[in-house]
This record gives sequence, C-alpha cells and structure tokens, in this order.
Amino acid sequence: MGGAAVEMRSVSKRFGSVEALADANLSARPGEVHALLGENGAGKTTLMRVLCGMLRPDGGEVLVEGRRLPPEGTRAAAAAGVGMVHQHFTLVPSLTVAENVALGTREGGGFRLALERVHERLTELEQVTGLPVDPGAAVAGLSVGAKQRVEILKALYRDPRVLVLDEPTTVLGPQEVDWLFGVLRSLVEEARTVLLIGHKLDEILRVADRVTVLRRGRTVLAEGREAVDAPGLARAMIGRETTPAARPARVEAGERVARLKAVGALGEDGRTAVRDVTLEVHRGEIVGIGGVEGNGQRELALVLSGRRRPAAGSADLPATVSLIPQDRGAGGLVAGFDLAENTALAFHDDDAHRRGPLIDWAAMRGTAHEIVTGFDVRAPGWRATAQSLSGGNRQKLLVGRELARAPDLLVAENPMRGLDIAAAAFLRAKLVELKGGGPGAEEAGGAGGRPAGAAPGIVLFSTDLDEVLDLADRVFVLVRGQLIAVPEAERNPAGMGRPMFGSEQA
Amino acid sequence: MIRQLLRPRLRSRRIGPLAAGVVALLAATLLAAAGLALAGYDPAAAGRALVSGAFGSWERFASITLVRATPLILTGLAVALAFRAGVWNIGAEGQLYAGAVAAVWVGLTFPGAPAWLLLPGAMAAAAVAGGLWTLVPVGLKLRAGVGEVITTILMNFVAIHTVAWLVHGPLQEARGVFPQTDPVALAARLPRLGSGRLHAGFPVAVVLAGALWWLLRHSAWGFRVRAVGASIRAAAVSGRIHTGRVVLGAFLLSGMLAGLAGGVEVAGVTFALYENLSPGYGYTAIAVALLAGLNPLAVLLAAGFFGVLQAGAAAMQRDVGVPAVWVSAIEALVILAVVAADRFLRRGMAGKGGG
Repeated sequence: MGGAAVEMRSVSKRFGSVEALADANLSARPGEVHALLGENGAGKTTLMRVLCGMLRPDGGEVLVEGRRLPPEGTRAAAAAGVGMVHQHFTLVPSLTVAENVALGTREGGGFRLALERVHERLTELEQVTGLPVDPGAAVAGLSVGAKQRVEILKALYRDPRVLVLDEPTTVLGPQEVDWLFGVLRSLVEEARTVLLIGHKLDEILRVADRVTVLRRGRTVLAEGREAVDAPGLARAMIGRETTPAARPARVEAGERVARLKAVGALGEDGRTAVRDVTLEVHRGEIVGIGGVEGNGQRELALVLSGRRRPAAGSADLPATVSLIPQDRGAGGLVAGFDLAENTALAFHDDDAHRRGPLIDWAAMRGTAHEIVTGFDVRAPGWRATAQSLSGGNRQKLLVGRELARAPDLLVAENPMRGLDIAAAAFLRAKLVELKGGGPGAEEAGGAGGRPAGAAPGIVLFSTDLDEVLDLADRVFVLVRGQLIAVPEAERNPAGMGRPMFGSEQA
Repeated sequence: MIRQLLRPRLRSRRIGPLAAGVVALLAATLLAAAGLALAGYDPAAAGRALVSGAFGSWERFASITLVRATPLILTGLAVALAFRAGVWNIGAEGQLYAGAVAAVWVGLTFPGAPAWLLLPGAMAAAAVAGGLWTLVPVGLKLRAGVGEVITTILMNFVAIHTVAWLVHGPLQEARGVFPQTDPVALAARLPRLGSGRLHAGFPVAVVLAGALWWLLRHSAWGFRVRAVGASIRAAAVSGRIHTGRVVLGAFLLSGMLAGLAGGVEVAGVTFALYENLSPGYGYTAIAVALLAGLNPLAVLLAAGFFGVLQAGAAAMQRDVGVPAVWVSAIEALVILAVVAADRFLRRGMAGKGGG
C-alpha cells in the first residue's frame, strides 16, 4: 500500500462564533470504504465540503493521492479526482437524467451538448453498476430513490478516484441500501476510495473498512472495522454511555381521535396515490405504517393531518393535529425565517401568542426558547435562519415545534431520519411518554399544558421497519397507496416485508 | 448559551443598502454623463438642470417631485405587498386605471354631494374597483392554477382599452371635442397642501406605507402573508394558515392600493380621465418595489428616487434641450445601475457572511 488516498491534517473552520471544525484529521487509503461518523453538527459535512473545495478552511491541509490541494476551488478538487454526492439533491427537475449528468462536464466541448455520448456512457455505467435508470426520463418524475441513483451516477460519470457520499442511505429503502453498498464495494475493488458519511451504525459497520469519528469538530477516533463495535462508536460520537431504548409497554388505547373512511388521495402528478384507506386512531396508541418511500405516505399523511382534503371518502379529524413532514424539516420550516418566526408558523394565531391581531413576539421567543433548549437545537443565534442550521438541528426544531402544540393527533413521517443517536433516542422516549399522557406530554404541552390521560394518538410513518416494530402498537404497511394491516403474529421484518415486496396483488 | 443566542448579527446588513445607494449613484452619474457627452450635450449643465428641476426650490420639489412620487408610492406598495405574498401581480397599471375610472364616475355622477361624502366615496370606489380588477386573475389562479403573471398583464390591456373606449364614448366630455371626460366636481378633488400642486394624496400614501410596514411586521395577518410568500408549502403544512385565503386577501388588497393610486391621481392631479393618464406608473412600480427590497418603508425612498428622476428629466429636457428619448435612456441607465449595484453588494455580503 502506498500513501493515503485522502489525507486531511488539522483542518479547522469557524462560521462566525461557531467552531465547526477544530482539529479534524482524516486519512483514507485507496481501496477502502471509509466511514465518517458523528452527531449532527459534529462537522462531517463541513469536513467533506473542505475536501471538495467548496469551503476554504481556516487552517490545516488537504492532500489527495499525495498532492496538496489549494485551500478552495471545486475545479481543483474535481481535477484531483474527488466527487461528491450531496445530502440534498442537486438535480434540475425539469431536465432529463442525461442532461443532469451532462451539467458541469465538458461533454461536447463547443456549443453543442453531445447528449448521445452521455446516453452511451450512462448505458455502460448501468451495465457496470447494475443500476436501472432511463437516461431520457425527466428527473421531476422520478422517485426519491431513483433521484438518489441519478446523483450517484452523476458522480460516477466523472470517474472519481475518491467518492464522497453524504448520508446517502437516508432516503433509500432496504434493498436499495443493499444495492448501493454493492456498488460501493465494486468501486473500492478498483482501488478507488469511498468516503461515506452516515448515522446508522449497523449499516455503516456492514460496509466500512475503516471508521473516523468526529465530535464537535475534532477527530476522536480512527480505527479499522475489526477494532470497533456499535456501542464503542456511539460512545465516541456522543462522549458518554447510551442506554438502549426500552421497548415501550403496550398501553390500553383510549377514545377514538381520528377516523378515515375509504379515503383516496391524488399525488402531485394527479394520479391516485392513496386508495380506499380506512383507519381509526385512538388516544394513547402509536399506529406504525411501514413501507418503501413513494407508496402514498406523503399524501396519506397530508390527509390524515387535515392539510389536504381527501379526493374520496371521509376524514373525521380532531381540532389540533401536528404534522412532521419528511425532508428533514425542509417541508415544514421556512428557510429564510428565524427561530421565532418558524415557531410562529404553528402559534401565530394562538391566544397565548398574540394580543388581538398582533403577534406577541416576546411570548413567541419564549416558546421558541423552550423548543430550542428542550430539543437541544444548536443555532448560532436567535436571528439564525432555518437554512443556517444543520439538517439534524432543523429536524429537531420542527419536531419540537410540532410536539409543543399539544396535539390530539400527531402524524409523523420518518421523524428520526437525519437525527443523531442521542436525538433519536430522545425523540423515541418523547413519543412513548407522549402516548402515555405522562410528564412528557405535559412538558411538550409547553404553552398549554394538558391533563394526563388526554394523550394524543400517534401515526408514525417510517421506511425503517425496525423503528415501526419497536414503537408501534398496531402495524400496517402502505403498498401502492393501499393500507395493509400486519397481524400480531406477523410482527417481524419478514412479516412486514411480505406485502411490501411480495407478489403483485394490487 | 442564551447570551450568545441573543447577540444580534445585523451589523453587516445595515451598511448594505446605503453603500449600494452611494455606489449606484456614482456609477449612474458617470454613465449618464458619458452618454450625454457622447451625444454632444454638456453633462454638467444637464446635471444642474436635473438637480434644480427636482430640488430647485421647496415649491418645485413638492409640486413636481412629490406629486410624481405619490402614485409610485401607492402602486409600489401594491406590488410590494403582492410579491411579499408570492403573488406576481404585474397588473398594477390596469388596477390603477380601474380605480381612476371609478373615481371619475363617482365624481361626475354625484356632483351635488357634499365634499365630506363625495371625496371619500370616490376614493373608496377607486380602491374597490382596483380590487375587483384582480378578481379574474385571482379566481383563475386559485380555481384553475393559471399563472397570474400572464392574466394580470392581459387585464392591463383590457383596462387601457376600456378607458380609451370610455373617453371616446359614454364618458366623453359634454363638448365632445377631446377624448377625455369632463372635470370632476370640486368636492371630489383632493385638497391642496400649501400654495403648490402638492395634494393630500401624498401624506395619505406615506401613512399607508407606514401602516403596511407595521402590519407586515407585527400582525398575524402580515406574518401569514410573509410565510405564504416565503414558502407556501411550509405555510400549508403548518396547518394554521389557509394559503388560498392569504393569497386572495393579499391579491385583493394589492389591487385596492393600485386602484387608490388611480383615484388619487384623478382627484389630486388630472381631475379628469383620459388615455395615457398614467405614464406607466404600474410598471415602474415593479422597479420601485424591487429596488425597495419589498419593504414598504423603503418603497417611500425608492418612489421618491424615481420621482426625482422624472422631475429632473423633465427639467433637463426643458432647460438643456436634451431630447426626450435621451432623457428616457438616462432614466433607464440610472435604474439599471442602482439595481445592479444593489444586487452585487448584497451578493458580496452574502458570500462573506454566509456559511
């Protein structure tokens, strides 16, 4: 083995008063999948953006295959063979797959874009990676998983020596993750280097050869796969012991809070996304709905939370329904609004937060403060906008806001997605407390408070089957817009997987 | 931690607009001077004419510059409000004409009514007509998802041609000579302020700017408007904001402000309706609103700036003999320079402060 493929030494970077990277070191060899782990805001993404030349570090140096990179400049990094798949999609929806891939390449040279060549090479890549993508398809019409594949293809197209993937598995279903890991293994067999940012330890441990852990901008651990285990990594990431999440006790369900009868809903494209869904939700229970993304979860969540009228059937809903949409807070927060303004989205017409027609911003800041401290949202200041927060902190802000409404019904789509271990454990505990109507419910009640026993009903959509099985009192799967109950005897991943991936029965 | 959280980070933002203004003014002056010199005019004399035309005396400033600025303030507010709500109302010009027609009709139809009733009645009619003029675009937007950019532009043509028909036909003056209406009753006219031509519409516009700023900033309604404009999806997902109702309200109110501009112009300046009553106030309003960053208070400054430009340009034409086309070209250059400087400075700051 020669030198390291990527060598980052003592990298530091400040954003205003926030020290994103203090003393970050990373050394990855050719031919390995190198995992970069850390909590939200630990500096993983910042470090990778430095590597790709998107950010100028305040100190330290970056070497790729022994050559020093200039401190900033995406072109130099790309020329050195560094490619990155970003956490958020960077695709142009109105263009086709091939056109998106061609963006930023030198394909064609002159004025004319040689799209045929792109098509050809994509077809080659498709054979190599076993990845089905239609180069002529418009990106707007693709599922989330397919978009992720396009992002990866886009990076592979440039034949990178070093491929960085920022939390690529968050939006993928189980088989897609397997597929992705297979592609990563075949890449490193060609002596390329894969840098993988992740947050799900068991996933990471399946694929990684070596692991680097960042905590508050510092490298605190760098070891081979054989020398680490999940508890040890969790300890390194958060700096203390974690207690395994207790499986919640089944609770007697209370009165009915919501009822859907033969509900249908249309997707964004106008096609039927949800059909004939009948569901009752009671106080004090968690209804878990598993399924692969894009099977109608979004539309059903909107109908169930009263944000959209059903196209068919009837929805009988309580007064206050909280909704935690997917997309890591992006769907529920206004990027340019600060913490208090984003809090106000849920509370601006609430009696405790207004004086007549005017918003009581002091009260609003008070509630925002409760959310920020209660959910450990790390923000550079009160005037910080949602877009200046890291993905995990946005999600914490959104979850905190929605729980603070003291809802009768809580609808959550992949609420743990993008949260780090500690925050996810905290949220699980909150959900369990909340359904018990216990102290958590009252605390989360924030402005209002509520009598114990008036616990909300909770509907949890998740692509993570283990999460559903762990938390839910009743389990369903959503397949092509149809809700299928999973019997008690079938409460296991295989039992849930059968209707999801089984024979075509729709 | 809280202490740290409470520390504002506003300093860099404050310098922005001022620096942008200074740089833009310098750039615009140089550009305009170069253009004039090339065309064979004395830039210094033209500059003096511009300044003295706009600011020469209080009389001149009030009677020309502020009178010019008044409809720009009102239409600028109309556009700013709509844009803040994410409604691309390009139809302020048509809504202004609708307001002007309503004010003139009221003024001609009830000549015997007392001033305390007739004037507010005419102004209210103007605002309502402006609001009604948005109903077709707003209905098409909310019911059928038709983009309001196109429909509001089309409604401008409808308004302009309707006015032409009215002043050639049903509303033409009794003498039947010119394509214009008879002047409205004295009781339907806005009172003059001081000895010049400045009328009460100007302070009304200033007060409305303050009120709109205050509402957007402090009221629940204003917050809903800002939320819908910033992210209609997040507003809908919050479950507390009826986005359709917010769009409808902002669109109607925007049309009412533009309609009032037409009423004020008729009641304060022209006293009659005729074709080309507006030299494109409703379009200039878009530049005014954007230059003001959609901030109602800044709309006052931006509208004032355009008022100065128009008043000064007229003087340049009169005193130095610079032809009208050159004056228009210089106006456009100045606007371009201001907008460009504004953008560049903002982007520069975002680049440094971001992360």
